[in-house]
Amino acid sequence: MTASSAARSTSSTSHTSPSSHSIANSSFGDEARDGAGDGAAGGDRLPPARFAFGARTWKEVAHLLLNLPEALAGFLYVSLWLYAGVLTSLTVIGLPLLAVGLMGARALGRLERRRARALLGLRIEEPSPLSRQSRGQGFFPWLWTTLKDPVAWRTTLYGFIRLPWGVLTFALTLCLLLVGWPLLGYAARGMTNLDRAMVRGLLSPSSELERRIAELEEDRGVVVDTAAADLRRIERDLHDGAQARLVALAMGLGLAKEKVLEDPEAAARMVDEAHGEVKLALQELRDLARGIHPAVLTDRGLDAALSSVAARCTVPVSVSVDLAERPAPAIEGIAYFTVSELLQNISKHSRARTAEVELWRKDRRLLIQVRDDGRGGASTDSGSGLAGLAERLGSVDGLFEVDSPPGGPTVVTAELPWRGRTAG
Amino acid sequence: MAMDYGRDYGRAEARRAHRVPAVLRAPLEGRTWREFLYLLLSLPMAVLTFSFAVTMTTAGVAMLITFVGVPVLAAALVGVRALGAVERARARSLLKLEISEPEPVRAPNGKRGLMPWVGALLKSGVSWRHVLYALLHLPWAIGAFTVSVVMWSVGWALFLYPAYWWMYPTWWGQPGMQIGAEPGHGAGLFVDNPFEIGVTCAAGLALVLATPWVIRGLASVDRLMVSALLGPSRLAERVWELEEDRGVVVDTAAADLRRIERDLHDGAQARLVALAMDLGLAKEKLEEDPEAAARMVDEAHGEVKLALQELRDLARGIHPAILTDRGLGPALSALAARCTVPVQAEVDLPARPAAAIEGIAYFTVSELLQNISKHSGARSARVDVWHSSGRLMLQVWDDGRGGASTAGGSGLAGLAERLGSVDGLLVVDSPEGGPTTVTAELPWRG
Amino acid sequence: MRVVIAEDSVLLREGLTRLLTDRGHDVVAGVGDGEALIKAIRELADEGALPDVVVADVRMPPTHTDEGVRAAVQLRKEHPGLGVLVLSQYVEEQYATELLAGSSTGVGYLLKDRVAEVREFVDAVVRVARGGTALDPEVVAQLLGRSRKQDVLAGLTPREREVLGLMAEGRTNSAVAKQLVVSDGAVEKHVSNIFLKLGLSPSDGDHRRVLAVLTYLRS
Repeated sequence: MTASSAARSTSSTSHTSPSSHSIANSSFGDEARDGAGDGAAGGDRLPPARFAFGARTWKEVAHLLLNLPEALAGFLYVSLWLYAGVLTSLTVIGLPLLAVGLMGARALGRLERRRARALLGLRIEEPSPLSRQSRGQGFFPWLWTTLKDPVAWRTTLYGFIRLPWGVLTFALTLCLLLVGWPLLGYAARGMTNLDRAMVRGLLSPSSELERRIAELEEDRGVVVDTAAADLRRIERDLHDGAQARLVALAMGLGLAKEKVLEDPEAAARMVDEAHGEVKLALQELRDLARGIHPAVLTDRGLDAALSSVAARCTVPVSVSVDLAERPAPAIEGIAYFTVSELLQNISKHSRARTAEVELWRKDRRLLIQVRDDGRGGASTDSGSGLAGLAERLGSVDGLFEVDSPPGGPTVVTAELPWRGRTAG
Repeated sequence: MAMDYGRDYGRAEARRAHRVPAVLRAPLEGRTWREFLYLLLSLPMAVLTFSFAVTMTTAGVAMLITFVGVPVLAAALVGVRALGAVERARARSLLKLEISEPEPVRAPNGKRGLMPWVGALLKSGVSWRHVLYALLHLPWAIGAFTVSVVMWSVGWALFLYPAYWWMYPTWWGQPGMQIGAEPGHGAGLFVDNPFEIGVTCAAGLALVLATPWVIRGLASVDRLMVSALLGPSRLAERVWELEEDRGVVVDTAAADLRRIERDLHDGAQARLVALAMDLGLAKEKLEEDPEAAARMVDEAHGEVKLALQELRDLARGIHPAILTDRGLGPALSALAARCTVPVQAEVDLPARPAAAIEGIAYFTVSELLQNISKHSGARSARVDVWHSSGRLMLQVWDDGRGGASTAGGSGLAGLAERLGSVDGLLVVDSPEGGPTTVTAELPWRG
Repeated sequence: MRVVIAEDSVLLREGLTRLLTDRGHDVVAGVGDGEALIKAIRELADEGALPDVVVADVRMPPTHTDEGVRAAVQLRKEHPGLGVLVLSQYVEEQYATELLAGSSTGVGYLLKDRVAEVREFVDAVVRVARGGTALDPEVVAQLLGRSRKQDVLAGLTPREREVLGLMAEGRTNSAVAKQLVVSDGAVEKHVSNIFLKLGLSPSDGDHRRVLAVLTYLRS
């Protein structure tokens, strides 16, 4: 569990960093393009007049200038309620005052995170709200939870140390703005970097648990949404497939029924058609049912189910399942659909000549490996089928890794948390 | 989703009204004596924990300069945590406090070995909260012990005085209990005439009646201390809850799919197989025996209509199309129209919530209405849906015979679990004799 | 009778075409989605050859939700004389209400299953084309169940309820008589009893009676 969460957290950071890179890249790209435009247009007409700095720098400058009013207001607020609260805490009324002040501090933090997002392009996740259980349980639990809220206390600290820094940055930026124009860009970047570090250090949901909570909440959302989408898809498939076919069939039979005595020839043809239809409808229902949850998986488990998937694959597949007992139905289902989607991918895109599926258990994890000798080049980039699989597995604390150099071979390894039948 | 609702209704045992008022009951109640026992045991436990924690941690901290300090400190923390486990067990059994074990010590990044583990132990907030508990608990335990023991024993002693008053003159050679005797200042007062005995007894009774509430108050502070300092942290609890939720969601989704597959298999597919057979036979018979063939075609025709009906019901159970097309309002009024009990449905929403939330809300109402038409004996029902401060609220009311509950294993319990797994809530108010109001709450996602 | 069919499943579209052609009707166009349907009708109307009736599926591309109902409502607004019969895999009272809004002439809303009873289905198409109504029994059951006038409805005898239901489906008196295997006169008597109990003014003509009943149930 820890291994996976650590691995996932690194993967999640690597998810966020490319996006910030891409923002940076695109803005550099703009400048580069402008420059090229200058060169090309130099001979004909004057380049369009523009501010010396890009929008990014201006935003940073705005942030630095805003630091002063923010720091003043924040410091004033924080010190006021803190002194008032701590002093009156000696009597009884101080504690609620302190708690209300801390809630205000949380709001301050939210404001600051928003400002950093707008002006510094810094995306900080919101810390998890105070637990819902304490809500509606009465006054004292609320008081207690609020008073020991680490997020609010860290924001308080932030409010304190901001004052000198706010004054400094404001003064420095103003000076540079007036007299030190050439240095402004560099100074703004340097100072905002320190700002960024402060916001990241004091206003982010820092603890491992906070991160885990954010991750789990997202997971749960993904799982709920996929489940709902699955149901809608099944309903659609039923409607467009078997139901439509049956209506046609019913109509044909209705006609045949009328004709059977008067025009046996025509009736015979219709009955024949209907017979063909019903077989097709059955086939469709069977495929749909298999796509929903194959009966053989419920009855016999992964080994039998995967063998039957392998048998339907256009590429020869060898399957080896090494499990002493069956995992929980949900895990079994996810494992099955992972392999079946991977095999579909192989027969569609890989041009492999053979493939291999292996399943085994290691400690508290169920491991799946699918190998093929196709042309490789598969990746979990967004939009691909593999990305969907990776997300689905991630939402149950699973892992999904693709090793597929161009030219092959491709090895896909998936890991699921093991849950036994009785425990699950 | 085929659940047993039958058990929900008609179980309101243990709700008998007590004839004796709570004030008179308290001194003899099990709870009072359990809490008193807890406070009694607190003293030796607190002394033990305090002395252990103080000696070991100070020793450990003092020796930190040398290499030996770390293992000593680690041992101190392990010991304090073990004592904390005993304290939790004590609180669970005597105070009926629901408290789960705090998160175990885990080395970061799944590293193995003793050193990372010791590091995690020393860094873990849980360990230090245990130490804090050990320190804070002793003064409190002394105070609580003294107050409760003195009040309780004096109370009973005075209250029972009439019962053992005769012992004074017979065995100890004095007229009665002696009050206010000071050395050198006379003998004070002997409680020996009926009036004085009566007053003493009354004072004892007052004390006996009051002490349970004092004990309760003291135990509440203990409860707060144990759950705040020895329990899992708020975040750890939330993680645990979310992990559980996600498991529930995954399992229900998987179970839903299996159910659909089974329904398809047992319903439409089976029927189609029969149909295919009929048609095959009819095809053969058409030429030789047109009459028989006509009959078979007729049967097949009936069969296919039934199959269609079944598929339609199944599809509606999976996800009603009108919900996707028109949202909760029309979907719920369609549901209400199909209920055997007259139902009035009101939906007042500013916008459509996310598809998943809509689906959960729909199926919640659907199950509640099924419940009503099957078990409640209601003559009318009402469904209200509205949006309130970031939550989607559902209320289903009926005038049936009540007695529904979310006790374990029932259909309502399953529903409550399902809602809980997405941070929702299900509250059932169903006094015996009705009416029943079920209120559900879901987080609003747009 | 000239018919336009809108149905995205080719199988069903062809089946319906065959079925109607077989009965001597003229299928002038077959389309696969709501927009195409509206376009086809407009073109036909421009040529002065408006069809008698449109048979449309509810769920069609591109959104696969309720295109058919929306197209039907729009067509009825544009061409009041055009009969519209909506077919669906499932029936919802809500859609019936939307279709009946405005005027109840020339409207039909049936479960797709009903095509199995070929004769009845074709009857319904013809009825709608002639300005009558054809509501699915399931819709009628929902209408009866949801009606706010439960106490009045409770005053009907079981037979009268049956007749009321069949009338609400849009059947003529003689069709009701045939369905219940009784004489026309007996149905006539039931009908006048029903009108008396519901407090509706007696009117002649099957269409108008049906309308009166539907209006009553929906109010």
